[in-house]
Amino acid sequence: MKSLLTRIAAALAVVFVLCACATTNSNRAPGADLSKLKSFYVVRTPEDERGIEKLIAKRLNALGFPSTSGDAQVPPTKVDGIVTYNDRWMWDITMYMIRLDIEVRDGATGAILANGQVMRPSLQRKSPEGMVEETLGVVLK
Amino acid sequence: MKHRVRIVVAASLVAATLQLTGCATNAKSDAMVATPAVAVHKSSADVSVAVSGGKETTKMGASQVSNDNFAQALRDSITQSGLFSKVADSGRYKLTAFIGKVDQPVMGFSMTVKMEVSYTLVDTSSGKTVWTENVANEYTAKASAAFAGITRLRLANEGAAKGNIQKAISDISTLSL
Repeated sequence: MKSLLTRIAAALAVVFVLCACATTNSNRAPGADLSKLKSFYVVRTPEDERGIEKLIAKRLNALGFPSTSGDAQVPPTKVDGIVTYNDRWMWDITMYMIRLDIEVRDGATGAILANGQVMRPSLQRKSPEGMVEETLGVVLK
Repeated sequence: MKHRVRIVVAASLVAATLQLTGCATNAKSDAMVATPAVAVHKSSADVSVAVSGGKETTKMGASQVSNDNFAQALRDSITQSGLFSKVADSGRYKLTAFIGKVDQPVMGFSMTVKMEVSYTLVDTSSGKTVWTENVANEYTAKASAAFAGITRLRLANEGAAKGNIQKAISDISTLSL
């Protein structure tokens, strides 16, 4: 009996490992022109206590877009674009970010102009910095 | 006898796995049709509908809201509300909806889906945008709504989409077109 259960568990584990692939996805609103956005403000997600908003702002700055971040839902100074995000974490030996969703919004209206999502299961995990870099790359491409 | 027990246990495990996982399905269009509670301000013009930003459900993935099903629900909602004279392939007005965000839980008993859709209504005769709105809402499918998680997620998707369309139609109905 034990060996049968072990075999089934092993088979299921193999299936899950094989099926788990990294995926990326992005969308852009009709007529949205992201090239007009030169400055950004990243809104911290209330549940985020890991400082992902700072990583996003840092990456945007590195890409040449002056960016700040904070808790306020409305940017303290006028910006071209507002960035919101949602980070999901899972535990497998250590905690890792399994999914990151990023939305780029119009700085004036708050309407979503573009979004992107990267999902990386345990075996394809990246650091938070890597997830931010990949997701922003998907959104801004 | 032992062999029989093994077969029964194995069959039960397979059945349980199928019951718990199963295949996810798209949010259904008829379950996303809004039922406006307020009397709408009707327009004698016709309207066309275009939706983008949605996702198709994959066999191994979670239930999603597809462009086609959301568009169908939007068309049916407009028709039922009498907001415009009819929904056509091309009309005096063009309503575009960009599904910018569908935030779904990875797992859970009660499942809450947060949705955000950017709507734009353009008068095609003048090219002017007569209304634009970013509608955000959420819907929770409680644990009692369905046994299987994939079904609860689909119900949460449908509830969020229905509420979102409802809000959009209510807003458009206040316009004098």
